[in-house]
Amino acid sequence: MEALLSLIVILPFLSATILGISYLIDSKKNLSNTYYATIALTTPAIVTLLSFVLAFEISTMPHDTPLYAHLFDWIKVGQFHIEMRFMLDRLSMIMVGLVSFVGTLIHIYAVGYMQDDEGFGKFFAYFNFFLGSMLLLVVASNPIIMFIGWELVGLASYLLIGFYHKVSSNITAANKAFIVNRVGDFGFIIALSVLFIALEGKGFDFEAIKEGIEGLSSSTLSFVGALLFVGAMGKSAQIPLYVWLPDAMAGPTPVSALIHAATMVTAGVYMVARFGFLYNEIPHIGEFIAYIGAFSALMAALMASFERDIKKILAYSTMSQLGYMFIAVGLGAYGAGIFHLFTHAFFKALLFMGAGAVIIALHHEQDIFKMGNLRTFLPKTFITMLIATLAITSIPPFAGFFSKEAIINHAFLTQHYTLWIIAITTAFLTAYYMFRLIFVVFFAHSTKTYPHLIPLGKMIIYPLIVLAIGSATVGFLGIGHGFAHFVALPDRATPAPTHLLEYGLMAFNPLIAVGGIALAYRLFGTNPKPSKANIPIKALFIHKFYVDALYDRLFVSTLRSLSLFFDRVVDAKIIDGFLGLLTGGYRHLGVKLVSLQNGTVKTYATYIIFSVSLMSIALIYILEAQ
Amino acid sequence: MLSPDAFLFVAVVIFAIGLIGLMLRRSLFVVYLSIELMLSSVNLILATFSRVHGEMGGGVVSLLMIAVIAAEAAIFLALIIYIYRITKSVDSQSITQLTHKRDEA
Amino acid sequence: MESIIFFVLAFFLLSGAIMIVFCKESIYSAIGFLMVMVAMAGMFALLHHSFLFLAQILVGVGAVVVLSIMIILSINLKDENQPQQNIMPSKIALTTLMVAPIVGLLLYAVIKADFTFAPIAPNFGTIEAMGKELFTHWVLPFEIVSILLLGAMVGAIVLSHRRLDVKS
Repeated sequence: MEALLSLIVILPFLSATILGISYLIDSKKNLSNTYYATIALTTPAIVTLLSFVLAFEISTMPHDTPLYAHLFDWIKVGQFHIEMRFMLDRLSMIMVGLVSFVGTLIHIYAVGYMQDDEGFGKFFAYFNFFLGSMLLLVVASNPIIMFIGWELVGLASYLLIGFYHKVSSNITAANKAFIVNRVGDFGFIIALSVLFIALEGKGFDFEAIKEGIEGLSSSTLSFVGALLFVGAMGKSAQIPLYVWLPDAMAGPTPVSALIHAATMVTAGVYMVARFGFLYNEIPHIGEFIAYIGAFSALMAALMASFERDIKKILAYSTMSQLGYMFIAVGLGAYGAGIFHLFTHAFFKALLFMGAGAVIIALHHEQDIFKMGNLRTFLPKTFITMLIATLAITSIPPFAGFFSKEAIINHAFLTQHYTLWIIAITTAFLTAYYMFRLIFVVFFAHSTKTYPHLIPLGKMIIYPLIVLAIGSATVGFLGIGHGFAHFVALPDRATPAPTHLLEYGLMAFNPLIAVGGIALAYRLFGTNPKPSKANIPIKALFIHKFYVDALYDRLFVSTLRSLSLFFDRVVDAKIIDGFLGLLTGGYRHLGVKLVSLQNGTVKTYATYIIFSVSLMSIALIYILEAQ
Repeated sequence: MLSPDAFLFVAVVIFAIGLIGLMLRRSLFVVYLSIELMLSSVNLILATFSRVHGEMGGGVVSLLMIAVIAAEAAIFLALIIYIYRITKSVDSQSITQLTHKRDEA
Repeated sequence: MESIIFFVLAFFLLSGAIMIVFCKESIYSAIGFLMVMVAMAGMFALLHHSFLFLAQILVGVGAVVVLSIMIILSINLKDENQPQQNIMPSKIALTTLMVAPIVGLLLYAVIKADFTFAPIAPNFGTIEAMGKELFTHWVLPFEIVSILLLGAMVGAIVLSHRRLDVKS
């Protein structure tokens, strides 16, 4: 079993290496796409199988005995003892299963999507690397290893977002993602350092930390918890570090699907859930997290409602759904948060892949207002995307209903009514903007035809169907808190609702969603028009709350002017000037000194005599002194 | 009775004149003669000290010095002829092979 | 009596040295050199170095000075080949200033040491005494000097040989 667990992490890295080396060696493009695709697809498939085997193993064991796989001692300096050790408990098992399964489907889809691309091999090398990094992150047995996975995920996302690196704006987007993530990682590192110092070498495995934090003061824990969440903010695109997420759409669509569904953005939620035992000690930080999540959800939903780019709508919706997850984990309902993460992976992957299918069919057109009536041309895509949309808008019995409802109700039951109102509003907006997308893309302009539609291959369609089945059904896992009980996270206690209240809430959420759908149909059902920025509040939404502009003004321009100052003044004038003085001084001195060496013997004789003369003076002085 | 200081004074002054000549003049002949002058002054000092100590050693070295002077004369004069054949002058400034090579930047 | 001779010799010595340095024509410098050599020989005689006196006259005057004059005459420098140099007073002052510390040091040492002539053996400076000293204590330097002379001879021949002219 241990070997299998290690293989789960090692295999993707191994195949990434093989793919990367093959791609580098194969400069003449002799290797066919089939070769790359075979390797690239085999790996996640095997990993998925392994994860199922392990899942079976784990589910038969009691929940508090995780499976460990010790690879090697990485660092052993005094107290600082970091093992390369993997841990598989039920939480990480869910994550491994999810990441590998959804990842496999996205891989298959990507083979269809990327088949004409020059960098096919490179793409899959990155892709497997991405998968491996995420798996490393989730099975890490201590925060240091987790941090390695965390950083590798960031690196992989950077490589993939900037995959079309010939367009400079894509590079900017990749840099933005990387830099913004770095801001979050900074918090993460400080949190880990503080935690490590506070624990005084009692061990740094999650198990050991769990025991070790009991003696720590609340303020230390709050500090650590808040900074850990800063890391999660960056990775999971929450206010205020979400700005990279929409720009990350620069990458190929499978990348977006992978980032948004299985890997990367879920890392923050996973991390908070993993540190659930820590956050249970500091509920006020948990509430802070919940509020950040709620506001992120609302803000993203508002921005999505006015966005025109199909992928960016989905990007904002991811941010919004992540907000829900943070409400859940912040309020201590880790099971509910992870469950939403779980269902969200299915329908969000499906939405992205469906959007990718539409984009490919329409020759890389991403503006939804240039689409319309596609349901007759892309029926399979339409059906699957509709299922995913119903799932995300929490219409029963699709997956999102169960997971989202659990979160919203949890907020209500724990008497966080502000959060509840925000969540409900967001749910309404979610329904509105998702169906706005569906109506505009698939229904509107019913006479519109597409003569040059690119037919979609099986590789693209089949994963959609599998995920559609998943989106429709995985929600049933959550009935009666079954999922939450299985994951066995240290959820904080919730007051049990009365039956009437429970059913009332259960019915209320879909009703809200239906209201959103109705509004969307009213506005965009037949003849959609893009929103105009005719009133200030709309302008605010369309321009994404001017946050990018604000960051630009606040950080980018100040940094730029500072850099310019350093470049033009400090570097050019002061440092270069100083060095110039030195070098120039040496040069001039050299030119002067060179004339001393004029080749005339007489001059040399003069030097000698002059020196002897100086020595004579010195000698006289010394003799006189005696 | 003469004191050794008188001889030594004369020798020092001649030596100084030799040094001045070495630095002052460009003519290779004068340079050569200045060097000879300095050698001779040293010779005189050696002879004086030989007399001061009443030992013959200084005198012997002085004698050998005379031989060295002769050798030096032969070499130096041959060099003067050689240089004269090349540069058609006996100007010490005309020999500048020892100068630095200026980079033609 | 000795003092008079000394001062006369010293006068010749210094004026010869000054002639060497400050005469424009090489031949006058050479004559100055002749004066220096002869006066130097006289100095040796005053110091009871009779053999050195002989050697100085024979080698210094008879060979070195004559050779120098002969070379000067044989080269027969034209005026345009002479270094065109005015001996400027400022330059003289400068060089004198540079030499002054050396002279100062030497004179300082001489005055400080306060030498006196030791009593000497009657055969001091004679050929016999010189020869004995030379071939007992100073054999090695003597031989080295002979090799030096040989080398100088060969060198001089090589340098002044016409076939080795640089054809430029």
